[in-house]
Amino acid sequence: MSLLQVKGLGKVYNTKLGMRQCVALKSVSFEVIEGEFVAIMGASGSGKTTLLNILASLDKPTTGDVLLDGTSFSSIPDRELSEFRRKHLGFVFQDFNLLDTFSIKDNILLPLVLMQMPVREMEERLLPIARQLGITQLLSKYPFEVSGGEKQRAAIARAVITDPRILLADEPTGALDSKASASLLGQLTDLHQIGKTIVMVTHSAMAASYASRVLFISDGALFSQLYRGDDNNRAFFDRIVANLSILGGGDIA
Amino acid sequence: MRKFFYFKLALSNVRRNKLTYLPYLIATAVMSGVFLLISGLLFSKGLTNTPSGDTARMLFAFGLVVYAVFTFFFMLYINNFLIKRRKKEFGLYGILGLDKRHVGRVLVWENTFVFGGGLVIGSLIALVFGRLLFLLLMKLIHSIPGSTFSIPLIAFGLMFALFFVIFLVTSVSNIIRVHTASPIALLSSEKSGEKDKKGLLPLALLGLILLGGAYYFAWTTEIPGIALGLFFPLAIAVIIATYLLFLCGSIVVLRLLRMKKSLYYQPDHFVTISGMFHRMRQNARGLATICILSTMLVVTVSGTLSLYLGSGEMMRSMYPYDAQVYVPETATTQQIVDFDATLNRIAAEHNVTLSADKTKLVRELPEGEEFRRNNFVWEDSEFVEVPTLIFYDEAFRLDIEGKTEDCLAFVQAVRDQFGQSFNENPNLIVADYYTAMEDGYGFYGGLLFLGAFFAVLFLAVAVLILYFKQVSEGYEDKERFEILQKVGMDDHQVKKTINSQVLWVFFLPLGATALHMLFASKLMAWMLKTFMLYDWGLVLTCIAGTLVAFTLLYFGIYRVTARTYYRIVRR
Repeated sequence: MSLLQVKGLGKVYNTKLGMRQCVALKSVSFEVIEGEFVAIMGASGSGKTTLLNILASLDKPTTGDVLLDGTSFSSIPDRELSEFRRKHLGFVFQDFNLLDTFSIKDNILLPLVLMQMPVREMEERLLPIARQLGITQLLSKYPFEVSGGEKQRAAIARAVITDPRILLADEPTGALDSKASASLLGQLTDLHQIGKTIVMVTHSAMAASYASRVLFISDGALFSQLYRGDDNNRAFFDRIVANLSILGGGDIA
Repeated sequence: MRKFFYFKLALSNVRRNKLTYLPYLIATAVMSGVFLLISGLLFSKGLTNTPSGDTARMLFAFGLVVYAVFTFFFMLYINNFLIKRRKKEFGLYGILGLDKRHVGRVLVWENTFVFGGGLVIGSLIALVFGRLLFLLLMKLIHSIPGSTFSIPLIAFGLMFALFFVIFLVTSVSNIIRVHTASPIALLSSEKSGEKDKKGLLPLALLGLILLGGAYYFAWTTEIPGIALGLFFPLAIAVIIATYLLFLCGSIVVLRLLRMKKSLYYQPDHFVTISGMFHRMRQNARGLATICILSTMLVVTVSGTLSLYLGSGEMMRSMYPYDAQVYVPETATTQQIVDFDATLNRIAAEHNVTLSADKTKLVRELPEGEEFRRNNFVWEDSEFVEVPTLIFYDEAFRLDIEGKTEDCLAFVQAVRDQFGQSFNENPNLIVADYYTAMEDGYGFYGGLLFLGAFFAVLFLAVAVLILYFKQVSEGYEDKERFEILQKVGMDDHQVKKTINSQVLWVFFLPLGATALHMLFASKLMAWMLKTFMLYDWGLVLTCIAGTLVAFTLLYFGIYRVTARTYYRIVRR
């Protein structure tokens, strides 16, 4: 049963003066099955961030539609969009987007507070997630007191604490060094193994090699896809790199 | 050649960073201009010559010292704010190979431009604006005739001294800042947060005790002389307490709120409380300064306004009769009767009617009645015995009916007439309410003018602080606003919490001002009694009126500066 259906997405931006149009996406379609870990790869300007923003309901497509559990995004009124996002989608951003005015704990609890959950239930949810991500010791600290990798783990905790249907990650390792990246990707794999559905946008083959399927985007269109099959990370990585060289873009690291 | 390089780099930096340097320049200009105007008033001859000028001078000197301290810290705050924003740039210089020493030199040059330009503009503002303001206010209030406006040299000297000190302190602190940090640290320092400080509770308690004590003394002192003496110590205590409570007390209260989980973890409170932490840490000093400035403004304006509006009553209590013409002890009955006739003739000439109790004026008694002199009054040209004891009047106590100009003319005519003809009694004195009122209006009008002048200066500074607050908050809230939306807070909720924070920040200084004024009102009323103003109701009305007018004005200023804020947030 497919969890996420993307049907013929197109996105056209008007330039500032409205004179020229810029096509970011042209008719992209794919499906994500429950429990999949999908990576979307492409060079800068290939349209992958636009795609993720549309999947995140932060942006609206010019043509086509996105369905989550059969619910069409275009059928949700603007007023209820934030609530929908809060309940069903979890986000991890490249630059963490943690609020400096909250402690790590409060940052993680933020979506639950917005959902008006009782305090006791919030804390019950927090502890196992913090333990899984190894940030139990950091809960009372503030974002500026911890490292980038720790911030990103806190951001993941915030994304999954609402138990979303799908976790969307936009270049989650973009601001991290290679060691912190590897550890973070390991954590995403763990989440995948306990059954979370993850869609991750990245330009790094290293990051993509942790996924179970990789979609390649070029010039706003779906170019090809690779399934991991029985490959280990290393073998999958080599296939991704080989595919990228055909595509003519992307970074190896 | 080399020297020119730093000079040029500094000049182009100032030009390139127009958006940040322009406000700095304006701040220097406004702060120095206002300082010049206040010190100019303090040392002007006009103030020295006015009656009770010493009291006014004392108040002005106090105001000047407080203002100088404000200026010092405010300029430091602005400098800090700007340097923090530019640390990244300094880091880049370091990486590009510019020595720290050289970066420091560039910074000193930049500072020189800003201070030099600011002081020149400030002096011009003070001279031009001061004169305009003076003329405008002279028109509005009928003030002491012949007042002129000039700024003595000593005021310029003081201003240069103060700003030179500020220049040195900011330059040295900038150099130290550049020297102690590594380029990497400078590059990333723009985004560091603030830690929870320790030891705030005792400071907050100290503030509370100071404020409570000051309020207690202000409320319970009931001796006018002591009230005047208490004013300055209490004012200083309230200023310190305000700063302590805004800086430390607010954080302590917010911490208490945060500890109460059932309250804190509510959608509205959650974001608002944490946002308030941030705002109070950033802006407590500015808000406390606004509170102090507005309290000073309300005290000055309402005090001078009370005196101006109450001057009629004050004069009445000093001159209970419209006019009194003193009669010498030695005057004979005939002289008094003649005098009475002359008074009535002059009154008729000036279209005024007189009424006076003349029965107790005549002291020559009927033959043989000397020993009972206190039982006779003079009525219808003869002595009448009355059963009560009489105190003889020394003066004609006149009530004058007629137009004010006529009354004044009548009094003048009496003065002219009897100055010459009552020749046996060269010391004839005419004391009258109308002339005193005229003088009083001049004097209290002058005071009100000074009050209004002060108010305009305070407002200028308040606008400046509010502007900086809005700009700095705008830049920070922009990011928070976006993150909250991404995490699933809807537009409406974000706006609601931002509005509630903005309102808190808006009402906090205003509320504190109102509270200060509530307790100051009684002390002020007692102080004004030394000026013979006994009408507490009037004082309260003036305070309330000034407070309302100030609130409206503050709100207006806030709306205008808030536009800057929303422009930054929405961009």
